[in-house]
Amino acid sequence: MAGSLFVSDLHLSEDRPGANEAFFAFVEGPAASADSLYILGDLFEYWIGDDDLVTPFHGVIAGFLRRLSASGVGVHVMHGNRDFLLAQAFCEASGARLLDDPSVVRAGGVDTLLMHGDTLCTGDTDYQAWRRQARSEAWQREFLERSLEDRRGAILALREKSREVVRSKPADIMDAEPQAVEEAFRVHRVSRLVHGHTHRPAHHVVDVDGRRCERWVLPDWYGPGGYLEILEGSAPRLVRF
Amino acid sequence: MKLGSLWKPLIVLSAAATSGGALAADPQVDVRTNLGTIRLELYPSKAPKTVENFLQYVKSGHYNGTVFHRVIDGFMIQGGGFDASYRQKPTKAPIPNEAQGGVKGGLKNEPGTVAMARTADPNSATAQFFINVADNAFLNWGDPKSDGHGYAVFGKVVSGMDVVTKIAKTPTGPGAVAPRDVPRQPVIIESMSVVGGK
Repeated sequence: MAGSLFVSDLHLSEDRPGANEAFFAFVEGPAASADSLYILGDLFEYWIGDDDLVTPFHGVIAGFLRRLSASGVGVHVMHGNRDFLLAQAFCEASGARLLDDPSVVRAGGVDTLLMHGDTLCTGDTDYQAWRRQARSEAWQREFLERSLEDRRGAILALREKSREVVRSKPADIMDAEPQAVEEAFRVHRVSRLVHGHTHRPAHHVVDVDGRRCERWVLPDWYGPGGYLEILEGSAPRLVRF
Repeated sequence: MKLGSLWKPLIVLSAAATSGGALAADPQVDVRTNLGTIRLELYPSKAPKTVENFLQYVKSGHYNGTVFHRVIDGFMIQGGGFDASYRQKPTKAPIPNEAQGGVKGGLKNEPGTVAMARTADPNSATAQFFINVADNAFLNWGDPKSDGHGYAVFGKVVSGMDVVTKIAKTPTGPGAVAPRDVPRQPVIIESMSVVGGK
């Protein structure tokens, strides 16, 4: 297969064996014959720092990606809102390359804008404020100085808090804002966007200044999961497991 | 750090960091590149936090050795985020978007103006900036085609526009950070300094 595969929001975690099995099958199946695999954020349910690679589960996931990258598949990982602390040691362990958010790559002969998708949800101002804080060097330095145990406790508490917050928010502010999407097409001068985060898999066609642009939203793996396949010379295809 | 503080709103810059008072003159910055020098004039009265942020990066030496990594003739030239090996440089916390105040003060994304780059999040600008080489009205706050937030203009080129044009016209193609628009020969910001500064 001369093509690229795109996944996001796998949320891999020791306590979700179904998603883990799907991931192993995916890496050894469709991904093994691709040219490139793009993981567009939230590979892990949470990531508290690369020193947590000592957790055997994380080593196993990195090992699967390592075998894939060693076989010649280009493995690219973008930060999500759960695993934005993935860094150099994870890249060395997995053979993956960190991809900036946003990035434009060439896929199937088309310049394709890749994002995790959280920055498109501009209506969720509380989340954007938290994101800005958590992505700052100062916050990360301070967080990473804490013990693994302390960080794990903090993140688990944050997840709990986040569930409560999400339950109390209207659904529309947690989706991509149309204006932010249109702007992304204009500023990056592309006609194709692939992102995840919203857990609303779809193929949207957007008219931007008379240009036909397409937005592919990837599925999460809390449910059946799936991936987007872009082969040379053919239309993208959203594959569900 | 206390757990609860993770959720507190981020205070990016203290009020004391802004410079709303009378200034002797608008500060100028020399951007020395391997293609020549560009002199920027900055407008703290119209975009105080943005100018303060930019000057902090200038004074800390952040920009020295960075590149213009995204160059599109007829649009803009963008740099200040990657070193010459195209490794992303760490940044400080992002700043609030001052595009609205800029537009009201007459600063728009027009040829020769300099503005902050950002992600789709309107308040996410850190160090990367761009110099417009065209009238990019869709990047202005208040423009019907903007995303409703705009890109904050905070200065303009006062000399060296020929250098900006030269950079804009440099041949580009696929590179380490993108499949296109990356200069084939690196355009390096060798140093950046405040004119007459310490």
